[in-house]
Amino acid sequence: MAEPARVAASEADLIALARGLVAGQGAEVRAMLRRPRALPRMISPACARLLGDALAQVWPALWRGGATGAGRPARFWQDHAPVGLAFSVATLQLLRWLLAGRAVAGKPDAAAAALGAAAALASELPLTLGDQVMVYLALDATAGTAVQGELAAQPLVRSAALAWLGFADRLGGPTGCEFDLLCRGAGAIVVEVLAPALARRWRTVELDKRGIAAPDALIALGAAQDSVLGGFMSACDRSGRRDLAGFVLDAAAPLVHRAIAPLPLALDPSATLASRGAARLAAGALLRGVATWAAWDRAHRGVRFIDDDYPTAQRLLARFEAISPAGAARAEAWLTELAALPTVPGPGPAGTVDAL
Amino acid sequence: MSRAIQVRVSESVTRTVHVEDGVAAPLEMLPILPPARMAELLAHELVARGFVRDGARCTRSEPDGLEVTIDLEAATVAVALGADVQLDDAVELAVAVAVESHERAEAALRDDARQVLDDRLAARTAALQGAVTARLEAKVAELKRELDAAIGRATVAALTEKAAQLGRIEETHLDEAGNLTIRVRL
Repeated sequence: MAEPARVAASEADLIALARGLVAGQGAEVRAMLRRPRALPRMISPACARLLGDALAQVWPALWRGGATGAGRPARFWQDHAPVGLAFSVATLQLLRWLLAGRAVAGKPDAAAAALGAAAALASELPLTLGDQVMVYLALDATAGTAVQGELAAQPLVRSAALAWLGFADRLGGPTGCEFDLLCRGAGAIVVEVLAPALARRWRTVELDKRGIAAPDALIALGAAQDSVLGGFMSACDRSGRRDLAGFVLDAAAPLVHRAIAPLPLALDPSATLASRGAARLAAGALLRGVATWAAWDRAHRGVRFIDDDYPTAQRLLARFEAISPAGAARAEAWLTELAALPTVPGPGPAGTVDAL
Repeated sequence: MSRAIQVRVSESVTRTVHVEDGVAAPLEMLPILPPARMAELLAHELVARGFVRDGARCTRSEPDGLEVTIDLEAATVAVALGADVQLDDAVELAVAVAVESHERAEAALRDDARQVLDDRLAARTAALQGAVTARLEAKVAELKRELDAAIGRATVAALTEKAAQLGRIEETHLDEAGNLTIRVRL
């Protein structure tokens, strides 16, 4: 019988953190992050092997839907052959930063060196898809904590297109990321798997928007969402994978059908009319995504039976039914309302919106 | 033994501040006739309401500083209100210090006085900005009603023109609710 691998206590924490992120154990991960610890500069071969084993579970975990709580995608395994996910040293840097780096932010270099981690997660090399998935899982696991905000500010995290797709509201500001990697090969499969979670998250942000009071916050959020949806939907279009942007429809459809417009109802009345107007425009980012889908839908309706891409167009027409042309027309009307000259605000509705 | 003296510093400031606010929005016009013709009909209504036409732009400057610009080609309206105000303020501060350190105390007191003045002017500028925004908000509500009326009349004119293209207009009726009925013999 083989001897169990022996690693240092700090290495065991690294491995446990990786396993927790992969398994979607958010509560356990958050508990680990509450007490920062010192890490040695290097990890042992045994630790490297065990980390590799933990990361090898990312793909199965995504397919099971367990990592994100997204639910199992229907017959997913029938559509895609399993492919590998590559990880680089960036994933190790991410894990080390989570365990030790946060604690040294703002401290002298000597203190940082004592804990064995860099205070900032630098973005030196392009991230692999596996790295991006780990960044996404880390942001997901730290939701609702201050760690998520610190993580979102790190250059390495901000260079991950998948992080922007899922957490544009947390990262803030226009993205400089290219989304093409997420529209082909394994990247497209990852987006497909995460689509239900993406739809849920974008819908939640849309509901929260209605309560934002600071125009600047809403403008920054809208700029982030516009740049992410614009970049991602263009990449989908270029790659012939418009279906990957289906989460936009799934996010907006329940809101459109229940007539919950993203009208910012609580904007600070002492702010200038110019900033309030810009904030109202910014609030329509998801609706602009729906408008792009509506333009695609019109093009799909013009594809004839004899055309090569007829089957694809038919699938996308069926996909658009999630929101339907009537829903898209309602979204368009809301966009018009958001862009219109503001009216003198009334007392506003007293009701609340239940989570969908 | 050092002697105590009182250092007194007076500072005054006169500053001209410019505060402004503005908003832009698209105009909602039904595409009854080609855009260029719709723009012509709207321009006609706007000129009747005191706008000055300059090519594809109609502008109106009001005595209170409100500037309304309508881009007929882009079908947008921009409204801006600004104000230049001269703010004067003065402050006098005093402190008792030892005579040897009066120079240092005076410099510190002068810095404090300038800071007090800056804070007061910033607060007054913010209040002015708020007043301009409130005035603009009220003006925008009026302008919205006026533009809706102008667009409504331009739409009626467009419908009448369209009906005339279809046949001979026998009767036109506009009721109090704004519903237009045009009877056309084809």
